[in-house]
Amino acid sequence: MEIEISRRKFLQGTVALSIIGGATASSLFANGHSTQKVTGKLTNLNTKTSTTNSNSVATLCEMCVNKCAAIARVEDGMITKLDPNPMFPKSKNMLCARGNAGIQALYDPDRLKKPMIRIGKKGEGKFKAVTWDEAYEAILNGTKDFPGLAKILEEEEDNRSSMLFCAGEGMAEHTFKQFYGAFGSTNWLNHGSICLQTVTSGYGVTLGAYPQADLDNAEYIVMAGANRAEAIVTPDTMTAFKRTKGRGAKLICVDPRFTNTAAKADKWLAINPGTDLAFVLALSYVTITEDLQNQEYIDTNFNGYEEYKNNILSNEYTPQWAEKITGIKASDIYKVAREFAAAAPKAVYYPGRRSTFAKNDFQLRRAMAIFQGLHGAIDCKGGLIFGSKLKLGKHEGLEPLYAQAEARAIKKKAKYEKGETPYDDCAIIPGGGSWLSFRNRYLEDKMPYKVRGMFCYKHNPMMNMPNNKKTAEMLKKMELVVCIDTMPSDTVMYADVVLPECTYLERTDPVKTFGGVEPSIAQRNKVIDPLYETKPVIDIMRGLTNKISKPLFEITKKYDEDVQEAITEDGLENTYAEFDITLPFKQSQEEINHHMVASVYGEEAAKELHHNGVFYPNIKKYYKQLGANEFQYYPEKKKSYRVRDGKLKTSSGKVECNIKSLAKKGIDSMPKWRDEYNFNVPKGKFKLLTGRHAQFTQSGTSNNAMLRDLLPENYIWINKRIAAQKSIKFGDMIEVSSNVGSTRIKAYPTEKIAPNQVFFIHGFGEESHELGLAYRSGGNDNAVIEDVVEPVYGAAAMHETNVEIRKV
Amino acid sequence: MARYGMALDYKNCINCKACETACKEENGILRGADKHRIWVGITELKGQYPFLDIVSNTFYPSQCQHCDDAPCEDVCPTTATYTDENGVVRVDSDKCILCSYCIEACPYDARYVDDRTMTVDKCNFCAETRIARGETTTACQNTCPTKVRLFGDLDDPNSEISEVLRTREHFSLKSHLGTNPKLFYLT
Repeated sequence: MEIEISRRKFLQGTVALSIIGGATASSLFANGHSTQKVTGKLTNLNTKTSTTNSNSVATLCEMCVNKCAAIARVEDGMITKLDPNPMFPKSKNMLCARGNAGIQALYDPDRLKKPMIRIGKKGEGKFKAVTWDEAYEAILNGTKDFPGLAKILEEEEDNRSSMLFCAGEGMAEHTFKQFYGAFGSTNWLNHGSICLQTVTSGYGVTLGAYPQADLDNAEYIVMAGANRAEAIVTPDTMTAFKRTKGRGAKLICVDPRFTNTAAKADKWLAINPGTDLAFVLALSYVTITEDLQNQEYIDTNFNGYEEYKNNILSNEYTPQWAEKITGIKASDIYKVAREFAAAAPKAVYYPGRRSTFAKNDFQLRRAMAIFQGLHGAIDCKGGLIFGSKLKLGKHEGLEPLYAQAEARAIKKKAKYEKGETPYDDCAIIPGGGSWLSFRNRYLEDKMPYKVRGMFCYKHNPMMNMPNNKKTAEMLKKMELVVCIDTMPSDTVMYADVVLPECTYLERTDPVKTFGGVEPSIAQRNKVIDPLYETKPVIDIMRGLTNKISKPLFEITKKYDEDVQEAITEDGLENTYAEFDITLPFKQSQEEINHHMVASVYGEEAAKELHHNGVFYPNIKKYYKQLGANEFQYYPEKKKSYRVRDGKLKTSSGKVECNIKSLAKKGIDSMPKWRDEYNFNVPKGKFKLLTGRHAQFTQSGTSNNAMLRDLLPENYIWINKRIAAQKSIKFGDMIEVSSNVGSTRIKAYPTEKIAPNQVFFIHGFGEESHELGLAYRSGGNDNAVIEDVVEPVYGAAAMHETNVEIRKV
Repeated sequence: MARYGMALDYKNCINCKACETACKEENGILRGADKHRIWVGITELKGQYPFLDIVSNTFYPSQCQHCDDAPCEDVCPTTATYTDENGVVRVDSDKCILCSYCIEACPYDARYVDDRTMTVDKCNFCAETRIARGETTTACQNTCPTKVRLFGDLDDPNSEISEVLRTREHFSLKSHLGTNPKLFYLT
């Protein structure tokens, strides 16, 4: 093994001691400067593989949400390389730049290393390192600086909902959610409303499920508002890029910006931001008026087609009408509709995988789903597919009934008429809640009861949602904030108690089944033991529940009449058994996974899964390497292209065109264009666009030394001609400001963007001084984006902000 | 004994930089934007928004071309640059005196200075790592999300790369220089 000597030291001896051992009570963060000196040295290290003995461990990547299969090479206890695991049908032997750079997340010198409790002012980032038991004790009983769970629940008379639970996406989110269920709160906020909420719900209510796209076989692909070549490179869309540029599939890219996806497309259509709905309505108009639809499919699989047809025709959603709104030439709209119809059913209007950009996003997704249906390209090869999913055994959680726990802290309007939105927040409250609405209502004291503290797992609300000033206010106002994370993120800086999770390479996570054309089960195996004093979430939950279960039950006993009654009837021990929240975490993750697989597929399958990282029935027979870059996972005949035989999982079993129950809540029952959706930028201002990048995943990867190398900071795209007018040159510092705040970022004049728009990628400009590389590097979009709430599901609408730019 | 080369389905390239990262992790390459064995060349986008020329914006994955007639080898005064038994152009860092003639002579700008050894470094098709371990792919090929790369033995008529070069049109960079590169761009 050839590794820089200082890297070896870092792990095996003196340097490690100077960090870990040097972390005395007050110095872990309070003494940030000395830590950073060490940091500087350590981030210049490199791994190199050797020709000596090594072990291989199959795992799953967690550098983004896709969970590509990887094989870790371990030499002398250190991970020296992550390679793609070819056996996983979902990721097809790929690992992107971030996946390769996972090693740097593991060996990031700025990682959270020890449990910590706050000793400074909230948000100041001053902590002292403590033992795990001391941290759990602080969560239960607080310190002089903050209250613990016992005090909060005592004062709130066992209203478990006075604690909020927030989580980012991840395989161990499941484990954290079991804690939420056992704790008994009803307040759960996850990434949904700042992520895919309107996409999954739009398709969900229209087609019964959020589908996948069979890009391996589609002959025509419209990729609108989806920058698949850059926005968090994901395996599901990589096959498309092997076939574009006239090599099997025609790709139409619709985007306000000229992206790398546009560069790979056969045609790029520049569209005004937020007007995709008009584009789809016009495509539908051409389809219907030129009789291009698949009438047979519509006759058997549509509910409310005549009403929808009437909606399209009577509103005259013509290409000429759409040209004025979208900026796309009518002739191009005619062409796309005709070409799509000619290729259908091997045609895909890509459903998209992104957060909400415009307020009309839910209606856009509905219109896209219906357009796809008009061409009958659903549940079939080359179209949108649902695929099949392999079963897994169960791991029982525990969800005690606490009589004192209040219902979710959402607020129905005092008075609302039929046809009006019933809630203050939005029309329909999704399972993951509306983060922005919850936050804003919390700050405005519009809660039905007191929410006093929060648990935050792998989630960074300071960086991940618009108007971060308000998020900071919220975190300051929360009396007890417990953060479980791997990195000292901006949110962690506001924590009262910090529980350091180990990285994905140091833990086994809940086994997961991956549905699709080629379904499989995959597992993230622990590669090496956790470094420092970090732990996997399941171990953290075990320790924490052991500490708090009984003391908190004492409070329940005091206030919960149902429990008092149960004790009288069944005895204390039997009653507590129902409230013993340590139960879901008693077994190790390895044992749980083994059981979940072995109970369905047998012992041998569980062993195979552990060894290979991937399992599906007949894998030994089906899986074959066909060439250096090609693998067979299932024979063609065994692939799950068509699984529903046309029948959808909606209430009518058909494509839902006109959903009348939506109208009762004040939402258009069919997708319609409204004048308020028109693209409009006041003179002198710019529409701010945000987006993702192939080398970064949100803020979670922002301190990764390898990735930082590829892109040290983000830049703001400004149209070249505008930049010239304002004498802005490449690299000039620009202040970007909106109604809610401002950020500073360097300029990148380019013709890839329209003169009335600016763009920069998300996830930069952190304020946590413990992030040695990410600290104040580049501009932070969420310091500028206004908190505009999408009306249906309360999602954050990210592209509704106009900004001013100024050279500074 | 082999004659290694690489075919690049460059139209698949989305410039995601997985190859560059895999190369750095596998081969212990220094960090720093100017320290890399492989990279993706981009031709500049032409036109004014929204009338942009899609074709003008192309990604060319690039690295040492492992020329059969390598100018870098010719100019090296210490024979530090040599062609190994597998046709791979390599640098013996013990012999390199950093005269930098090779850096100047390379028409493909494939060489850079490794600050740790103060010698010249460049792609060696993972000769010291993967190939030395008996593996059959380079780190860049194996990891590529869109499967741009195909590495193999040009002397073996049955190899996948030989088959591809027989059946698909391809070109080499700066072929007029007579360097006979062993990197082939598939059209």
